[in-house]
Order: sequence, then C-alpha cells, then structure tokens
Amino acid sequence: MMKHLYCTAGAGMEELLAEEVQHKLCATQVEQISGRVFFCSNADLHTVTQLKSAERLFLLLRKAEPISLPNNPAKAAAVIKQRVVGDPDIWKQTLLTWTALQEELQGSQQRGHKRRREEEDEEESLTVADESSHTLTSSTHLLKRQNETNKESREQTPSFRVSCRCSGVIARSYTSQRLGRIIGMAIKEHLGWKVDLKEPVLEVNVYLSNDHCVVGIPLLKHPLASRSYMKHNGLRSTIAWAMTSLCPKQLNDCVILDPMCGVGAVLLEAAQEYSNAVFLGMDTDTSQLQKAAENLKASGMEGRVQLIRSSAMEIPLADGAVDAVLCDIPFGRKFSCSSDMPTALPRLLREMERVIRVGGHLVLLLSLQLSAQLKKTICTHKHNQHLNSSDTNNVHTDPSNTHNESTDTPKTITFHKSSSETSNTPLLISSLQAQRTHRVSLGSTDAFIHIYTKIQTQAHSH
Amino acid sequence: MKLLTHNMLTSHVKGVVKGYPLIIKATEVKVNELEFNAQFVSRMIPKLEWSALIQAAEWLGQSQDLPSTLIPNYENDEDFLRKVHRVLLEVEVIEGCLQCPESGREFPISKGVPNMLLDEGE
Repeated sequence: MMKHLYCTAGAGMEELLAEEVQHKLCATQVEQISGRVFFCSNADLHTVTQLKSAERLFLLLRKAEPISLPNNPAKAAAVIKQRVVGDPDIWKQTLLTWTALQEELQGSQQRGHKRRREEEDEEESLTVADESSHTLTSSTHLLKRQNETNKESREQTPSFRVSCRCSGVIARSYTSQRLGRIIGMAIKEHLGWKVDLKEPVLEVNVYLSNDHCVVGIPLLKHPLASRSYMKHNGLRSTIAWAMTSLCPKQLNDCVILDPMCGVGAVLLEAAQEYSNAVFLGMDTDTSQLQKAAENLKASGMEGRVQLIRSSAMEIPLADGAVDAVLCDIPFGRKFSCSSDMPTALPRLLREMERVIRVGGHLVLLLSLQLSAQLKKTICTHKHNQHLNSSDTNNVHTDPSNTHNESTDTPKTITFHKSSSETSNTPLLISSLQAQRTHRVSLGSTDAFIHIYTKIQTQAHSH
Repeated sequence: MKLLTHNMLTSHVKGVVKGYPLIIKATEVKVNELEFNAQFVSRMIPKLEWSALIQAAEWLGQSQDLPSTLIPNYENDEDFLRKVHRVLLEVEVIEGCLQCPESGREFPISKGVPNMLLDEGE
C-alpha cells in the first residue's frame, strides 16, 4: 500500500533521514523541512519502523500552505475549520488507512492476510486519486468499508486528542494549547469524533509555522528513536546511528573501533548496519563495559562487538590496525585519567590517528567548544608547512580564539604546553584530512560530527 | 576474549618495542557456536597475523590442525574457512591473563574482557 508518511527528526538529522528513506524504503516525493521529512512509500510498515535517524513516525493527513489566524477567536475557529480540518473525507480515508496500518503492526496473521487483499484494492483507488486532493472518488470503496464489522464502524468516530505545536506569527497571538483546543473543537463538530484527553484511540498532531501547516496521526506510541534493544541509554540513538551513516565508506569487512565506547551506543547502531565487520569497544570504566555487555546481549549483538578495558590515551593496538574510529568524545570536563578533555584532546587525537590505517576514517562527535579546539589541532599537510614556514602568520586563527594578542600563532604553543609530558614537538596532526562537518542537536545542546580521512604524509613514510 | 581480538592486541608498556603477540594464559576457555559466514572469514584472513593466530590456538589446544603457514586459494575451501571461523570467533578466553612477551607484564582477563589498562608511568 502506498502511504503518505512523515517523520520528525532532530535538528541536523533531516538530510540523513531523507537519504535513509530513499535508500531503505525506496521512498518517493521525499521533501524535507526543518524538523520533518515527508515521503511516500509502499514498503511494509515493519521496515518503516526500522528507520534509524527519525524520532517519530506519522501518517500524513494534510500538508497545506501556511495559515494566518485572525485575533478574534471565533473568526480563527472558522479559519481553522476550513484550512486545518478541511475536507472530512480526507479524515475518514486517513482514519481507515491508519486503522489498517495499526492492524498490520499488531494484527493476527489471519486478519493480516484478509487486510492485505483489501489494501491492494485500496492502493488502486489511491493511485488513481490525485495526491493533493486525496478525495475518495470511489464510492464502492466507501460502501465496502461501511459493510465491515461493528468494531470498525465504531472506529469511524474514534476518540482523539490534539497535540499542537505552533511557531512564528501565530504563536504570538495563540498558545499551542489554546490552538489545540480550537482545533479539537473543530474536529469534533466537523467529524463527530470524540475528544478524550486521557486515553484517546488516536492523536492528531498539528504543526503550524510561518511556512507550514501539517496534520498527521502518529503510527506508533513510542518514538522510533527509543530503541527497544537499549537496556542502558547512552548517546541519543539517532546521533549514534548518524555517526556510522556519515562515514564516507561502507564499513563491511572493516575493523571499527570506539576507544571510549561507554555503554556501546555508537557501536550497537553501527553493528546493526554492518553485519560483516569487526567492532572493538574500549573503555576504562568496568561498570560502563558491563552495561555495554548487557546492551549487546539485549540487542542480540553479543559476539559481534568485542569489549576491551583500556584507555583511549594508550590504545592497545598496532599502528594502522583499524579501518575506522567512531567516537563520541565525552563532553564533560572531567576525563578518566584525571586530566580534563580540552587538555587530553590533542593526545587522544594523535592516538586515534595512529591506529587508523592510511585511507581509513575518523568520525568524532564533539561539543561546540571541543570542535573549535579540534580544528586547531588537526592541521592538513599544507597548513602544517605554512605554519612552519612563517611563524608570524596568523591567518589560521579561529575567530573563536579571542585571546589573540601575539603575532605568533598561539595554537602550536598551546598544544605544546598541554602535552609537555609526552614530547617536545607540537601536537599538530597533519595526516587527517577533513571531509565533512555536520551539526546535530543533542536536545539541550548542539554538537558537531567531524569526519576525517587519514592520508599518507611524509611523517608516515619513514 | 576471542582470538580475533587477541590477534590485534598489543602491549604498550613503556620501553616495549613490539609487544606482540601477547602470551595467553587461560584458566577458563569456552566455545560458543556462532553462525558461519564464509565471506566474512575469508575477507578477515588477510587482516590477520596468521602465525599469531595459530600460536594462540595451540596455547588453548584448539588448533584444529590448521597449517602454520596460510594456504593459497583458501577463499573456496569451506572446510578450511570453517576451521578458521571456529578458532577466530567461537573460541573464547573467559578467565586468565595475557602476558607481554617483552616486559612480562600480565594483563588479566575477567569475564571475557581483557584489562589492558596501564598504571601511571608504566
């Protein structure tokens, strides 16, 4: 059955989600807006629920031009009735599709088969109908529906509640709650559905902004992003998945390391994407490794990810032993080996770089502050020479680096100092070539995913 | 700890030049059946230190009569690949330790997880 769906996505994830639905669901009419990705797919719902980069999954009811609301509530109600609720047939049709999809999700095999035959009929009528109108042109279809069981006729007038989010101009005159009530009343009057705030059969999700008017019904109670297989939560699952997804190369037949794996969130997402790869997870903390082991067991990935207790400052692997390093660099200031992360970062990077083979990849998730520091530590070959050739050159100074008092570039000196216990050479890493930077939201804060490829440098040739 | 992991682990004790392969002293070894994937095993083989793998398997009495030097054209030899699969992925050291061949430093293995942490200054 061809379905008009959309998913919500965290900031920065829309592009990845759009790619994922095209790749995994062969989706068409893919359209991304801030926080949402719309698409059409006839993939079975189980496959759709396996999406990794989405937050929540919705059946699309209406996507229309943005609306503006008069300040007078009575007039606003009229506009809402016309522009947000609109044609009752669309609601009835969407409800039928929603019910069918719920059965596909939970229903018994037998009923599932019966359904599937009917859905095939439905698909025909849907493909005939224009996407924008979505009107039910086939009256036989309606008749057939009306002949169905009593239970289903009850479902023609389901209980519902409205969950509304608004932003922009509308939000200045109306709160989301108040709008939700107005929309709820309009649906009740227009369609005869019953309001139930506590345990409704379905939720009507409305999103109104300066640019969009979107109405949908969630298909699942739980967000896609809350993975059933994670017993202990670590990094937000969608972001963990994104790190693998942003790696420029397919990771099958590869050795992949997370030197600070924590509860294993990044490796778990990667291991599910690539069945033919070796995953190594390291952490200094036994309790984290224990939780990682429990997560692996719960997800059926036991034996796929090898856990080792060790420090990211001294990775117990030979030079060039791994094809990719994926790592969520802890944001907290305190780090395991009693030095804080900004101090430890250059040494950490050098150690990760050491174990990656030439041509291999480094994917890091970092706070904004550490990102700025990372850019200064990793220096492409050209930059490196540049720095060496002219000490007074200051062009590479990051704008965030405000203590820019001397004409000498402060970068080399800073890192030289912070790592004085290990060597006298500045810790500028020249073998990592920046590929891409991707900003993502972690809810309360933003972060950057940085992707590097290790290249051959003179330092490595001897 | 699988022998696949062992095949990659090195000792980084200060002053150690190679620190590889680590000597296995096992007190508890388990064999966990795992789905065989011929393609995966044959693609992993070029990444392995073959002699270290054979050595490790012998320490554990699990060598499966695998040859001390890698045979040519192993890609199509299912019998051979199955044996490598067994040694590489199914044999697991649960308790014991790994010893650095140069410094003699021992790294304990507990509940299947090797502890490669070094002390300050090591």
